[in-house]
Amino acid sequence: MKRKNKKFQKRGTSSLNKLSLFQKNDSKFSKKCPLSIKNAPVIDYKNINLLKKYISDNGKIISSKITSVSFSKQKKLAKEIKKAKILGLL
Amino acid sequence: MAFYENTIIARQDLAEKDLIAIKEKYNEIINKTSGKVVKIEEWGLLNLAQKIKNYKKGFYIHYKFEGNKETLNEITNKLKIDSSVIRYLTVKYKELDIKNEFFKKDN
Repeated sequence: MKRKNKKFQKRGTSSLNKLSLFQKNDSKFSKKCPLSIKNAPVIDYKNINLLKKYISDNGKIISSKITSVSFSKQKKLAKEIKKAKILGLL
Repeated sequence: MAFYENTIIARQDLAEKDLIAIKEKYNEIINKTSGKVVKIEEWGLLNLAQKIKNYKKGFYIHYKFEGNKETLNEITNKLKIDSSVIRYLTVKYKELDIKNEFFKKDN
């Protein structure tokens, strides 16, 4: 039990454990594209559950800066979302 | 010849007979004009995200077919006139995947 608690604390404070303020926090920005891995889900206008993740509450498309989707996949996503909106699915 | 997918949204207040009639009608149109229907899917009654012509719900019918320019022209001309269809969408594909069904009902 003690060991588990220690591990949990370490993870939580890792971002605050920097030596100086100007040290780069590389763990936060080194995210890879979730749609270009092996066995990635199909980007299609019928696959609504996937498209819902990349849309805000107001129905806007979320930028790839936030979701870290690659450029080519983001283009495809935007097209498929617009198709789904025409059919009234999103 | 290329592959296409066509989705039709029919009006909510139609009887079951009319729905079957619509489904058969476009199936025949595609088959007559040098096309070939690969698969027909019925997604059933779904809620629309926003109102379309003052309707909140609609019946979705989905065709996967093979055809050329003539079939596309024939379908779009018929769909534009049809008053029982609220909206439609045709998409061109290089290959059709018949296995995946995203709107399957869980029994």
